Amino acid sequence: MMINRKHRQIWGAILFYVLGSLVAIIIMIPFLWMIVTSLKSKGALLSIPVEWIPKKPSLDAYKKIFALQDFSSSILNSFYLAVTTSLVQILSASMAAYAFSKIQFKGRESLFKVYLATMMIPFQVVFIPLFIVMSSLKLTNNLNAFLLLQLFNPFAIFMLRQKMMTISDSFIEAAIIDGANQFQIFRKIILPLSSGILATLGVMAFMGSWNDYLFPLVMLSDKKKFTLPLILSALQGQYSSDYNLLMAGSLISILPILIVYMFAQKYFRSGLQIGGVKG
Amino acid sequence: MYKKYKSAGFLQAVPFILPSLIGLICFSLVPILTSLVISMSSWDGLTKLTLFSDMKGFLASFFVGYDNFAEIVRSKEFWKVLGNTLYFIVLYLPLIVISSILVGNILNKKYRGIGFFRVLYYIPVLTSWVAGALIWKWALSPQYGIVNEILALVGIEGPKWLQSEVWAMPSIVLASIWKDVGYFGLIFLGGLQSINPSYYEAAEIDGANGWQRFKHITMPLLSPVTFFVIIICIINSFQLFPQIMVMTKDAGPNGATQVLVERIYKYAFKYHKMGYAAALSWVLFAIIFIFTTIQLKLQKRWVYYDD
Amino acid sequence: MKKSKFLSVLALVLCVLMVATACGSQAPSSNNSASPAPTSGGSNTSDPKSEKVTIKFEQFSGSGDTEAYLKQMIEEYNKQYPNVTVELQTIGYNDYFNQLMAKVAAGQAPDVYELNYENFVSYAKKGVLLPLDDIIQKSGYDTGKYNAMALGAFSTDGKQYGLPNSFSNVLLFYNKDLFDRANVAYPTDNWTWNDALEAAKKIRALDENIFGYYRPVQFFEFFKVIRQNGGVLFNADMTQFTVNTPENREAVQYMVDMINKYNVMPSEEQLAGMGDWDLFKAGRLGMVVTGVWAIPDFTKNCEFEWDIAIEPGNKAKATHFFSNGYVISKDTKVANAAFEFAAFLTSAKEAVQIRLDAGWELPPVTDQNVLNQYKALTPPSNRQAVFDSLDYLVTPPVIEQFQEFQDIVGYHLNTVVTKNATVEEALAACQKELEEKIKLK
Repeated sequence: MMINRKHRQIWGAILFYVLGSLVAIIIMIPFLWMIVTSLKSKGALLSIPVEWIPKKPSLDAYKKIFALQDFSSSILNSFYLAVTTSLVQILSASMAAYAFSKIQFKGRESLFKVYLATMMIPFQVVFIPLFIVMSSLKLTNNLNAFLLLQLFNPFAIFMLRQKMMTISDSFIEAAIIDGANQFQIFRKIILPLSSGILATLGVMAFMGSWNDYLFPLVMLSDKKKFTLPLILSALQGQYSSDYNLLMAGSLISILPILIVYMFAQKYFRSGLQIGGVKG
Repeated sequence: MYKKYKSAGFLQAVPFILPSLIGLICFSLVPILTSLVISMSSWDGLTKLTLFSDMKGFLASFFVGYDNFAEIVRSKEFWKVLGNTLYFIVLYLPLIVISSILVGNILNKKYRGIGFFRVLYYIPVLTSWVAGALIWKWALSPQYGIVNEILALVGIEGPKWLQSEVWAMPSIVLASIWKDVGYFGLIFLGGLQSINPSYYEAAEIDGANGWQRFKHITMPLLSPVTFFVIIICIINSFQLFPQIMVMTKDAGPNGATQVLVERIYKYAFKYHKMGYAAALSWVLFAIIFIFTTIQLKLQKRWVYYDD
Repeated sequence: MKKSKFLSVLALVLCVLMVATACGSQAPSSNNSASPAPTSGGSNTSDPKSEKVTIKFEQFSGSGDTEAYLKQMIEEYNKQYPNVTVELQTIGYNDYFNQLMAKVAAGQAPDVYELNYENFVSYAKKGVLLPLDDIIQKSGYDTGKYNAMALGAFSTDGKQYGLPNSFSNVLLFYNKDLFDRANVAYPTDNWTWNDALEAAKKIRALDENIFGYYRPVQFFEFFKVIRQNGGVLFNADMTQFTVNTPENREAVQYMVDMINKYNVMPSEEQLAGMGDWDLFKAGRLGMVVTGVWAIPDFTKNCEFEWDIAIEPGNKAKATHFFSNGYVISKDTKVANAAFEFAAFLTSAKEAVQIRLDAGWELPPVTDQNVLNQYKALTPPSNRQAVFDSLDYLVTPPVIEQFQEFQDIVGYHLNTVVTKNATVEEALAACQKELEEKIKLK
């Protein structure tokens, strides 16, 4: 029995490493190809047979891409948007979630239902009128317009409310006895106790913003305000077959978010416990 | 005392709710209503929109009633686009569920190096769709790309991928699975970790082998997560967009990769038919709504809640 | 405790940000660099060379590597108008019009922007462009220096809305080395479809990876090739489509046979995501039908001998007329400066010279001196063909729903290329869909 078990553990480990590496290799192939291509000169792109490793590696693509004015600024724009929109989203959502979970008021449940109902409307339905609303507020082509959009995020509100409902009322009662007002309760008790989910939502918002494409495509028209996905797409329009350039741009767009993820990884360590929410 | 405080009411709640309420009204409810009006108009997007300043005038010159919707249902294009989307779902859904369960299971092991795998698997999720689609477009180039080179190594002549009508959509599916498997794998991991280990211990004592334990314990207990993943995947499938825009020029050979959101974007911002585009977006909503409702009805038959 | 401190700082930052955005929304003009000094308005009295002005300028034709030439022109312009700041924005042709539309709809059109002849009419008819006649009259600007056809392309209903910046046509570019290797005589200006096909076959026979001919099967080629065969798209008064006629069917058959029957032209699959220019520059394409705007790129990047000739015809000769022009937004606050800027880029001798030296596109001017200089540039040695082609120009069929028209035709042509329909079926289906979706007068 013991030996059998040990055997099985060894086989399990082997299976794990074989399968795990196989999946990793499949996932990494396109990235390796991206890196290889970005180091080729334009002529080498078209060589038949394909060069697996560039015969004459060159950094031309990187030099060229950083020489393009709007590329560097797009990295800053993407960072700015990702940081600010995720902050706005989690603050606004946690405030709303607090009211919906811990403050009793008339019409609370029906209002919350309205909030949830909007989740069913796909973004594509509102993006045309949203564009119109933004242009009548003279907010198109303005990065800060994206912050306003984050004021209302029913998904984040829902997740945070779920969490806050599990916070015991006795904490709050104790705080009230100490003379705390609502804002103090929110800041000193509720927010710290929800920090895990706040961080997870924050990182998800950061990534969502970093990779957002459709609405920025419509909203931003000034190249100086373009985000990375937009500038990459625009590069494709202008240099459609300069794949060394496009791959260099793609690589550069991945690196920052990868670094952010490495730091934020612990919040994902236990997996995303979203499945626990019943549909 | 606390009860009293709690019922202090609306005034207490207002400051907390206000930001999201403003967002709800300005950037959700108003656009939804506007979208409804526009979907019943022939507004072109270039003429100044006077909907808010002069609603009567706007309706007088642009109102067309249900014409846009009738035109959508009558057009061959719409049904073709819907067919393309369903084709995507049929290919994508089983593959993504199976591969993310596999990934979830790999990540659930406690061997050394697990952190390394976890980061690697998640890189495509972090990659923006535009970059990811560019990478795949180049990797799938029939003559100069890496995928067909690798296939050639094992003696297979690769298809023409994005340049072929038959393979264009499977190419999109392939890229989408690559992009999403890390995300859904992590969600399955969350599900796996919430399964009480005592079930497995009991099964092992009963002499169940690995496959039996997977089939009789893991799968049923994972079914709520699977259900969630399926719903999200179907909704996402109807909203395909950036990968189509970047990977296929003019939506593929013979429009093989034309999908709803791509059409909405083209009608609105290329053909100057905002009304028609808005109507299409409501049709998209209706389709998602119907599919999700059916899912919710069907879940009772196979989703198992452990409580 | 530490954590809660962090969070309260975070909350504070957020509040500040929200206030900041709220301010931003109240005073949007502060974000709008389009509006310069408050006095600038439409006032004609102030000295245009002393006040500070910012012009937003958007265009597509100086794209990729040719953008540098445009920047040189703007530098030259700034030498004469140091008070003007030009904010240049370049967007690739494929995205340009979608992006532009969003801006125009939002009332944020750039002061000066580029339109091609095909899209010009939609914009003019929607009333979003500034008619230039008044400014031209007041400033006494001589429009006689422009090529009449190019200038005329940007007027409609008797009003001038734009100044042409370039003027281009399409030629047959060929790789002399490949012709020599295949032992075929070089193309002449009298070549017919059949001559081209026969030569292409011989070049194709050289190597599996070498192709004879390239001409995209799409809308723009279609309307021209049918003209080479005596076909047309509309009846005489443009009230009906005439897509499915024997002449047109024969023309499409000729185009598609080059790919599917003789395979002298690479299919999309054989191109494998690369462009036709790439193939030509790599020395793997005998002939390519493309515009004069390819000349700078080919001059720089071809390591073999190449030249140009007038495009082969069948029953008649026909070649493209394309023109791009700069228009001015109706809502601009700097109309005069914008006009001077557009005039400079299109006709000032410094700008014309840069365009010439780059061998880019034809400057749209009539100055014989300039044109002689253009002819003298090599390669290609037969640059005269660019001018000889002008005798056979056909203009794109411009209608209000141009983009949709173009996509519908392109879609049906593609069904023939991909063997999903015969020529007959495709053109019949095309005719039907056009009748349903496109409103003619």
